[in-house]
Amino acid sequence: MSKIFARTWLIMVYLFLYLPIVTLVIYSFNDSPLVSIWSQASLRWYSALANDRDLIASVVLSFKIALMVGLLSVLFGTLTAFVLSKYKRFYGRTFFFSMATAPLVMPDVIVGLSLLLMLVSLQHWLGFPERGLLTILLGHALLGTAYAAVVVSSRLKEMDVRLDEAAMDLGCKPRQVFRFITFPLIMPSLISAFLLTFTLSFDDVVLASFLSGPGYSTLPMVIFSRARLGLNPSINAVAAVTIAVVSVAVIVSSIYHVRTQRKRDHEIAMRYSDGSQ
Amino acid sequence: MATEPKPNKVKTDLLRVEGVTKIFDGVIKAVDDVSLTVAQGEIFALLGGSGCGKSTLLRLLAGFEVPTKGRIFLAGQDITDLPPYQRPINMMFQSYALFPHLTVWQNIAFGLQRDHMPKAQIAERVESMLKLIQLTSFAQRKPHQLSGGQQQRVALARSLAKQPKLLLLDEPLGALDKKLREKTQVELVGIIEEVGVTCVLVTHDQEEAMTMASTIAVMHEGTILQTGTPDEVYERPNSRQVAEFIGDVNIFEGQIETYAADHVRIRSEVCVHYLMHGISGHVGLSVVVAVRPEKIVLSKKRPAGEVNWCVGEVVALVYFGDHTIYHIQLANAQVIKAQQMNRTTDLAEAITSGDRVYASWSGLALVVLVQ
Repeated sequence: MSKIFARTWLIMVYLFLYLPIVTLVIYSFNDSPLVSIWSQASLRWYSALANDRDLIASVVLSFKIALMVGLLSVLFGTLTAFVLSKYKRFYGRTFFFSMATAPLVMPDVIVGLSLLLMLVSLQHWLGFPERGLLTILLGHALLGTAYAAVVVSSRLKEMDVRLDEAAMDLGCKPRQVFRFITFPLIMPSLISAFLLTFTLSFDDVVLASFLSGPGYSTLPMVIFSRARLGLNPSINAVAAVTIAVVSVAVIVSSIYHVRTQRKRDHEIAMRYSDGSQ
Repeated sequence: MATEPKPNKVKTDLLRVEGVTKIFDGVIKAVDDVSLTVAQGEIFALLGGSGCGKSTLLRLLAGFEVPTKGRIFLAGQDITDLPPYQRPINMMFQSYALFPHLTVWQNIAFGLQRDHMPKAQIAERVESMLKLIQLTSFAQRKPHQLSGGQQQRVALARSLAKQPKLLLLDEPLGALDKKLREKTQVELVGIIEEVGVTCVLVTHDQEEAMTMASTIAVMHEGTILQTGTPDEVYERPNSRQVAEFIGDVNIFEGQIETYAADHVRIRSEVCVHYLMHGISGHVGLSVVVAVRPEKIVLSKKRPAGEVNWCVGEVVALVYFGDHTIYHIQLANAQVIKAQQMNRTTDLAEAITSGDRVYASWSGLALVVLVQ
């Protein structure tokens, strides 16, 4: 009885999560200009999408920003994580720690608003910076750095300090320890931090709305504003393309993950089978 | 392995530690005014319980800690202020600290590459190291693909690859299970002797120290209590702490009753100890007499003479197959341990629980320690 209930519940949750997405993809092939009424299958909206300059420009802008945000966040996040995990004692450590991670819990609206006020007064006094790509980038990097710091420091914390000592013992100067030991070992966490902050930036609408200027609309902003004016099915096409890209990325990475895991298991099994101690 | 006899080495001091003190956080004295010398080619063991400062001393030698006071000399050179990467000292870490992202080959080559040794020479050195530890066919494996014993040998090879003047071993066998440990111990000493490197090892396992080291320093609360060869430390402990730390020991408290140049009588609560050599002391001095369990002979018959025996009841026995350890309760409720080889298969003759037995020992089997 409870088994049937559990199954049903599971199926309902999956439906709730994925049915809208599936519907969206199906309707992206809909010929009708009305979002919710099916007429016949066509690629009409995909060709419309190919000619929609604004939309394409916004995709390019979002991608550019997300890429740079990913890189900047990983850089600053790693530095922060390094300081927090290697230097256990310095004046103001607790303050530094809470400041570094505060953006995680601060509502985006507040961060966005305060940044906007600061930028407006900066522009007033210095004539710089013009609101646009740079300001969105800074806002996203601020948030991304906090996320990256958390991801990287969790990896750094579980790293054995004796590896650092062993490297020094064998002749590594502290800088070389980072290059030859720490860096290769935290690489996976740098990649996940990059992907996380990339995504964070790519789908943010709140900060971007506060920080962008005329002519700089990111993809989520465009979708958001068009949704308010009445949905155009080409948005469905954009969404379908995005879902396709993300799905391919996820599938490829999980296949890679399963493969390496299997290889590792196989190698571990091998060490017992070859009989030598 | 070569069978020719090793040339007699002139014993010169390689390592000299002078009055080294390490204080953590301004209050915790981990190492307290330790001085020691280690001769060229020696295997020197720092033995002690946890928190005795042995690991801190090892870290001071490696350069991971800087002493609060005192100097450290290696081959006459003051290395106290040198960082770890400039010391001709390498360490084999507890649980090995092999680099997980590098292969066995790369792990061993790591130190050599930092020294910018020519590639051909590195390859040659790594190959000879792999041959030494008999893992040539495992060169391309990652550490997680190796068993515990193999990892241990790779760690050893990595620390020997740079041909250090001094090799430090931190609990070298601590991560291995008991059976593998004995085998590895022999291999490890074999390799170290073949290379001829001077060694300082840290261990809490007295058996490990006994079997591997040529000199043992017993540490307690940051100081060295006694330094000597394994048999000196075992048979002639200089204090009750050393006697109790190394092996099992029965302690009798008593006073010197008669005192002469060639013999001493000591009266304790349950028996009279007659020592067949002189000690420094005087009549009436409170001392403790230490007798190791394996030096005691048990018998159901009363021994001849009035000294060096006591009587009691067997309250427990622990059977090991080749030997048995008897726990004997004496008249004053003290329980002593006696170890007897099981020489016969005649079980009827054997001493069992509840028997009244006489425990005796030779006048040469005693160690008298001042309280």
